[in-house]
Amino acid sequence: MRNISSVLGRFAKSISVSLVLLFAVTMSSNAQDAKEGAALFKANCTACHKVDRKMTGPALAGMSERHSEEWLVKWIKNSGAMIASGDPVANQIFEEWNKVAMPAFTQFSDDQIKGIIAYVKEEEAKAAAGAADKGGAQGAAASSDANNLMILGVAAILLLAIGVIVILSRVIKTLEKVITNNAAAIEAAKVRNEAYEESGKVRFAQKFLKNKKLVGFTALMVVGLLAVLGWQTMWNVGVHTGYKPVQPIKFSHQIHAGVNQIDCQYCHGGAYKSKNASIPSANVCMNCHNTVTAADHYDGEISPEILKLYRAVDYNPDTREYGNNPRPIEWVRIHNLPDFAYFNHSQHVSVAGLECQTCHGPIETMEEVYQYSPLTMKWCVDCHKTTEVNTDNKYYDQLIEAHEKLKKGEKMTAAMIGGLECGKCHY
Amino acid sequence: MDSNKKYWKGLEELNQTPAFVENSKSEFAEPIPVEDVLNEAGLSTRTPRRDFLKALGFGLGAVTLAACNRTPVHKAVPYVIKPEEITPGIPNYYASSFNGQSILVKTREGRPIFIEANPNGVGLNQGTDATTSASVLDLYDMSKLQNPQLDGKDVEWSKLDSTVIAALNKAAQAGKQIAIVSTTVNSPSTLASIAKLTAKYPTATLVQVDPVSYSGIIEANKNTFGKAVIPSYNFGKAQVVVSVAADFLGSWLSGEEHSQDYIKNRDYKSLKNGKMSRHIQFESGLSMTGSNADVRIAIKPSEEGAVLISLYNEISGQSVTGGTTNAKAQTAIKLVAKELVASKGAAVVVAGANDVNIQSLVNAINTQLGAYGAIIDLDNYSKQYQGSDAAFQQFLTAAKAGQVGVALFLNSNPVYNYFNAEDVKSAIEKVEFTLSFADRKDETASLLKAIAPVPNYLESWGDSSAKEGLFTIVQPTINPIYNTRQAEQSFLVWAGDTTSIYDFVKQNWEVSILAGSGKAWKEVLQAGFVFKGSTTGSAYIANVDVTSVASSIVADSKKIAGDVELKLYESTTLRDGRYANNAYLQELPDPVSKVTWDNYAAINPKFAEQLGLGENGKVKVEANGKSIELPVVLQPGQAMGTVSVAVGYGRTAVGKAGNNVGQNAYPLGSIINGTVQLAAKASVSKVSGTYELAQTQTHHTIEGRNIIRETTFAQYQKDPNSASGRFADTHKTYDLWNKFEQPGHKWVMAIDLNACTGCGSCIVACNVENNIPVVGRDEVRRRREMHWLRIDRYYTIEENGTKFTKENDIADIQDFENVTVVHQPMLCQHCEHAPCETVCPVLATVHSSEGLNHMAYNRCFGTRYCANNCPYKVRRFNWFNYWNDSRFDNYLNNEFTQLVLNPDVTTRSRGVMEKCSMCIQRIQGGKLKAKMENRKLVDGDVKMACQAACSANAIIFGDANDPESEVSKALRNERVYYVLEEINVQPNIGYMTKVRNTFEA
Repeated sequence: MRNISSVLGRFAKSISVSLVLLFAVTMSSNAQDAKEGAALFKANCTACHKVDRKMTGPALAGMSERHSEEWLVKWIKNSGAMIASGDPVANQIFEEWNKVAMPAFTQFSDDQIKGIIAYVKEEEAKAAAGAADKGGAQGAAASSDANNLMILGVAAILLLAIGVIVILSRVIKTLEKVITNNAAAIEAAKVRNEAYEESGKVRFAQKFLKNKKLVGFTALMVVGLLAVLGWQTMWNVGVHTGYKPVQPIKFSHQIHAGVNQIDCQYCHGGAYKSKNASIPSANVCMNCHNTVTAADHYDGEISPEILKLYRAVDYNPDTREYGNNPRPIEWVRIHNLPDFAYFNHSQHVSVAGLECQTCHGPIETMEEVYQYSPLTMKWCVDCHKTTEVNTDNKYYDQLIEAHEKLKKGEKMTAAMIGGLECGKCHY
Repeated sequence: MDSNKKYWKGLEELNQTPAFVENSKSEFAEPIPVEDVLNEAGLSTRTPRRDFLKALGFGLGAVTLAACNRTPVHKAVPYVIKPEEITPGIPNYYASSFNGQSILVKTREGRPIFIEANPNGVGLNQGTDATTSASVLDLYDMSKLQNPQLDGKDVEWSKLDSTVIAALNKAAQAGKQIAIVSTTVNSPSTLASIAKLTAKYPTATLVQVDPVSYSGIIEANKNTFGKAVIPSYNFGKAQVVVSVAADFLGSWLSGEEHSQDYIKNRDYKSLKNGKMSRHIQFESGLSMTGSNADVRIAIKPSEEGAVLISLYNEISGQSVTGGTTNAKAQTAIKLVAKELVASKGAAVVVAGANDVNIQSLVNAINTQLGAYGAIIDLDNYSKQYQGSDAAFQQFLTAAKAGQVGVALFLNSNPVYNYFNAEDVKSAIEKVEFTLSFADRKDETASLLKAIAPVPNYLESWGDSSAKEGLFTIVQPTINPIYNTRQAEQSFLVWAGDTTSIYDFVKQNWEVSILAGSGKAWKEVLQAGFVFKGSTTGSAYIANVDVTSVASSIVADSKKIAGDVELKLYESTTLRDGRYANNAYLQELPDPVSKVTWDNYAAINPKFAEQLGLGENGKVKVEANGKSIELPVVLQPGQAMGTVSVAVGYGRTAVGKAGNNVGQNAYPLGSIINGTVQLAAKASVSKVSGTYELAQTQTHHTIEGRNIIRETTFAQYQKDPNSASGRFADTHKTYDLWNKFEQPGHKWVMAIDLNACTGCGSCIVACNVENNIPVVGRDEVRRRREMHWLRIDRYYTIEENGTKFTKENDIADIQDFENVTVVHQPMLCQHCEHAPCETVCPVLATVHSSEGLNHMAYNRCFGTRYCANNCPYKVRRFNWFNYWNDSRFDNYLNNEFTQLVLNPDVTTRSRGVMEKCSMCIQRIQGGKLKAKMENRKLVDGDVKMACQAACSANAIIFGDANDPESEVSKALRNERVYYVLEEINVQPNIGYMTKVRNTFEA
């Protein structure tokens, strides 16, 4: 039963493909226009439209069937005017899309717009063909290939195993023959070797053990080495440099901050005004990701990682609507300061003017974020000892005056104005 | 000049009891077993080698295993959709109001964590009282109901609504009364919603009754002025104040607002201008107000009326019969009357009695003094207490007669706080349907059919009007945590109105409050209040028939006169008992007795001697046919033959922290002349057994050192330096250490002993701000309370004009009635040469370049050397991990209450020392704000939590490097001295001498 239906399905699909192809051929006179249309489409329309999917505006596939070309040209040129003039279809679309008007493109000539329409039609045909091909291939694969492949695979493995066994037994036999043929020579070599060991290594060891000073020295060195290693290990207990946990979403700073050059503030605004740098709430992600789906990297499908974001905000990319069941994203915290240490981002970013990279490392190259700095107290203190205070800030006027009186020409560090005092971080 | 006055913190010190002497030697209550270890046996104990190895091996293994924890993985969960106004890490402030005071609520990431006064508000705008600061904890109270209940079972709101509506309809059809029994309702929105209910069910009436009633004043004003209101009092205009048993700085009407105004005539600024008011108090128990009086005369409760009659006679020159026969009072009244008459128009008399005749007489006296208008304002009257004892009695009678169909209890708990609980219970039984809006299953609610729990005020929309013309908004700062619904919303639903509470409050404001004021709703949400009244009232003349009033007073006084008289009072900390489950308030020491976690019978020491009572004794107090057993406090200043007991304790169904703390004293009251009386003829008898109260009184004692400096106003006027006796003026000081520069800021504090009333509001604010744990009664008994800031109370005794300066004289004291009191806030003095810093073996406490004594908790390992070496005894040791120990679950340590914690302050762990940090998180926050705004830090940018809570402005904080800052100016005052400056620790907190405006011979 299933076979019959799949055969029928395949038949239907191939017919539709041929029909589409036929259609495309008839359209070939428009090919030149479509090429120009493609360029215009990519430059002007993709921000809001896709051929096969709703975005800010409707999916464009089938628009030539829904509307006359003349109507479309008028609409694209100046939709606002059409709505104002009371065109019923125009108003219906306007209402349907929550009264979001499409911007006017009066700079286009009628031919250019026709080119765009032609391009859309072409894309539509391609998409249909692609879908049919894909469907066909899948249908075929699903039927009986799996069983055959498995049987073949098992057979191949069996054959390979038998082959290996045969070869190995051959090798063993040959080696045994070699041994029996050269037994005398092997025995002689053994004796020679033992004699050599006795004379060399053992004698050296005996000599070494007799030299108490040397033994003492070596023992000291070993103890010293262990102590140094131990010391270093101890100091690194609780230091998590390089900590790179697996995050619930494979978010790449390399793409966002590196390739796309998004400013850190866009997502981590807190770093500039608060103690917390704050992980952006999902609505910030959605500012871009309601249009950016990375579909070009995933065969036209939405990236699975971006789908996780959609799941978090309960967003349906097809209907473009938000549901009532959001689930917060539980990121794994990478930088963990102990509770008894107070750290304020804005103090360092806004007041001192530090770059994020100073502590967080080359974040714009990180596919996955890891802890770059040790975040130990020594690391903080070292920096406070050398960092000059941003003396342009009027807050420091009084301090600078005092310090200039004290020490002419010397720089003022965070440590000099109390940056190393306990209460600055522990309260 | 050193004072030769003898100050003592408590009777144990005065009498030098062996226990006191023993305890005062050491910082910690329990001895450290050094001797046991170091004695011969201890040192010669032998540990066999095998045992040693076993222990070593086990120890090493255990430590290794314990260290084998994997580093925990922390999750970081951001908002899905972040509210626009929230930036994690930055607090948001919302205007709201509590008990009619306009306040600002500080929230962090959506959690309310601190409350301070709205500085632009009308009335009390300089500080908050202890209950306001502590109220933020009530939001996170886990003893509250989570769902509406019907017959003791959780139900849906819809089920409850249908039941209530059916009951209301039944009552309305039968023509039976629907009573809404409530404490005073002054909220316009609540009244409007009740009006909606009344429109639907015409038999509905609002019965207002307050646990501590002021209906005597209302009745008296109705009789004498034709205005049935309680006036507002402006003590800022009064140069002479006479109070007869009114604790007007504490619990009487709006005590905190009175303090704010009253202190303005007594603080350092007023003294600088050569002005100071005079305050004379007649009372039986030593109240907080009495402890601040210039002259205090102890009288029995039955003498209150007689004192006022004598006072009236002296002022008016008449001779109405019934004057006092108390010799001490007579002399005082003569002097007082002269004073009052001399400053007519700037003098006022207040009385605490809830009695219509006494209050009528007071009205007559105040008319003579011309107090109406400037000081007593009948036009912008107070609306805080409108309860009527008569109305409630009528309700009880009607209910018992079966005339009440439905009774709804709003903020009302008469089964606990009405003197005749049996009467209330039998009335409730006769009512067909009863419901309470309590947020918990309290004493009344647990007897009723249904409970419709209301959310905390921090979760609600609403408003209040504490004064005529003043309207304050209540806006939510968090979503309702439990499945609760505001009473106003319930009234609307039952009246068939589907308006949401937000729309209802908004509409009500726009229609009836904002109309014509030119203000918009959104402006109100930002400002927090609208004031349409005026600042002064007009003059009124009381129409009193003094002779008949006086004869009624004499007759009624006889009803409570006896050998022993009982006085019930509202405590400054717990008030009428509604805050009993608030652990912060339970652990706040009483301003005078310094008792926490209990009420007690306060008895004069000499009187106790006559009764054969001593410390830790217990008595049975009997009055009006009822009795309770209470522990005894030997209270100097208490009138002979009287016993004072606080109400508000002994709750049985308030929650885990407050249940069964103390005894309920309400039943000892009675009704005389139509109003509930808190005084009665009583008998006191000793009962067997002892009970140790958790007193902070003698903890952290300072042995007879000259730390209190006191002068009189007359001496001060002659020489402003009088008694300040600054050591540095007469002695050369030496430094053991190199002086180091403090070029940036130098944080210092000035404390005005004349302004501090001892109310303790700063202590609660400090607790909330700095995540200070509540330790409970047992731990306070072991002297382990954690308060970073305490208020020390010192007594001096004067008798027949002589001051008792030597311990030997004490035997000669006739009675302990003439006691004067000084309150001294004591906190870390941030000494420049701090003794604690030099003894810390791990440098956990060190000095900063800004003059602060830092405490790095993560460095401290608990030797407690610092506490032993601190001359001020202000360091506190964490004996337990109060934030993760099931023994402290009932106070703050539970998942829910921990939400009140300030995220900018570490919670300290076991084995760590802590102390006042001078709110370093606020200092750092203020500095950062200035840096972000690219400007200098200006005076007032940084306020301490204690300072923000102090309505008397007794605590002034700021930068000494700024010569124009308020604190620099205050510290240049002649009255400034430093506590224990002779030991050259160079404290950074200066105190100003106490000035007493006594009658000079």
